[in-house]
Formats: sequence, C-alpha cells, structure tokens
Amino acid sequence: MKLQFFFKIFYIIFFSFSLYANESIDNKVKKLTLELRCMTCQNQSVYDSDSDYSKDVKIFVKEKFEEGLNEKEIKKILTKRYGEYILFKPYFNSKNLFLWLFPFILVILSMIILLKNSKKTKR
Amino acid sequence: MNRTILITPFIVLTAICLFFLIFILLEKNPNDPPSALLNKTLPTFSSINLYDKEETYSSDSLKGKYTLINFFASWCAPCRAEHHLFFKIKKEIPELYILGFSHKDDLDDSKKYLEEEGNPYSYVGIDRDGKIAFDFGVFGLPETFIVNKDGEIIYKHTGPLTKKIIEDEIAILF
Repeated sequence: MKLQFFFKIFYIIFFSFSLYANESIDNKVKKLTLELRCMTCQNQSVYDSDSDYSKDVKIFVKEKFEEGLNEKEIKKILTKRYGEYILFKPYFNSKNLFLWLFPFILVILSMIILLKNSKKTKR
Repeated sequence: MNRTILITPFIVLTAICLFFLIFILLEKNPNDPPSALLNKTLPTFSSINLYDKEETYSSDSLKGKYTLINFFASWCAPCRAEHHLFFKIKKEIPELYILGFSHKDDLDDSKKYLEEEGNPYSYVGIDRDGKIAFDFGVFGLPETFIVNKDGEIIYKHTGPLTKKIIEDEIAILF
C-alpha cells in the first residue's frame, strides 16, 4: 500500500516535471518564432503562419531547443541559411549601424537646427 | 530669406530619409530576398537515388564539376512550367551536371512526373522530409542553384526559370 502511494507520488512529480519542460520549450519556440519572418508570407511571423515553410522552421527550432541550443545559436544557424532577412529585428552590426543610429542622428540634427534658429529669432 | 534657411535643412533631411528608406525597402523585397548562401560552400548532404534505393549521392561528389541543383515536386505547377528548359540547359551547357531533388513528394508521383515531362537530370535525389532543402535555405519551389568546381554556390534563383534568365544570368557563368 505504502509502495503504491510512493509510486503514485513519483509519477505525479515525474510527469509534472516533463510537462513543465515541454511547456517551457514550447514557450521558447513561440518567443523565437515570433521574431522570425515567414519568407513566403507578407509581413507575418513564422509563429503566426501556417505555411509549409513556417511549419518546417517551427519544427527545426523545437528540435534545436531540445538538443540544448540557445536562442542566439538557433538564430545564427537560421541567418546562415536564410540571411538576416529572416529576422524582424536586424542585428546591431556595422552593416546595420546606419539603420539603428539614423533616428538618433535625425533627432540630434533637428535639435541643433531648432536651437540655432531659436537663438537667431531671440536676437 | 530666413524662412528658406529654416526649411532647407528639413528638406535635405527628408530627402536623405526617403533615399535610405527606398534603398532599404528595395533590398528587402519579399519576392526576392537576398541569398545568404551565395559565394559560400554548399551545405553537406547525402541523398538516395529516386530510381535505386541502394545508391546514394553526397555533396562531396560534386567537387570538380559545375553543378546545377534544382528542387522540384510533382505537385508544384511552376516546376512543370520550367521543366522543359533543363533540356535546353543540358544541350547548351553539356559540362553542367544537373542534379534534381524530389522535394517533399511521393516517390511514385515524382517518377510519374519525370515520365510525363522527361528526365533532364543526371541524378535525381530524394528529399522526402525537406531537410536538404532546408539546409539550402529553400523556402519555395522551384529553386535552382549553381555550384562551381570548388563547391561554392555561385548562383541562386527562386521561382521558375525562363529562357531570358537562362540566357542573361546562367549562360554567362560559363
């Protein structure tokens, strides 16, 4: 009787842990695939798309998480195959430096112009 | 005069913004995304022959020859549209080894398709689960790659080939 009770408790703990692990991987897959562009759709993430291509990417991402790879490593593999175009948010590198800094340059330039002109009008 | 001085920097800035916006949008045309594998070594693969389960073909076998790799399927209508052009390529560029991959297709359907349309391929490999195509960064059929003697991908085309594409983009590579 005691042994049966012990096994029941063991099974409950074991399955709840495996369920938690699966849920955690599913969440990771969701988070990452939301950041990936479906290459065959118009402005849709891989997560939101049901296309054949997106299904393949979802399976691939899940497999890689299960293998123990992290988000950064999976992104690296995918960009190696599909290019940075697959990422909704481009990397912060020399190639995309302009893309990231341009809004700030624009604000600074506008501020300088605005300040110069306000000084002129005061005079 | 004062007003002109005030407005000019904003006009210049807007023009610069527009220029870069157009540049970025052109580069990221969803119908023609840039290929990440261009000028890079082709992914390693091993594939079973469609007509002989005992025979396999690997990426190592491609070294030393120019190869055209085409992913096709019997269910893909644009593949059927471009198919006859591979005979033209075979005739005009005989040194080109043409490797076809039956992608996510029923094997009997692929065989039937090649019986109906003819078989221009030097070898037809099976990519039943789509893993080879995935490694090649394929996202829509048909897709065609050209690999040089060193095993580098020198050309990629997404979508059906046309006579014009063959003449303007492929023939000039040889």
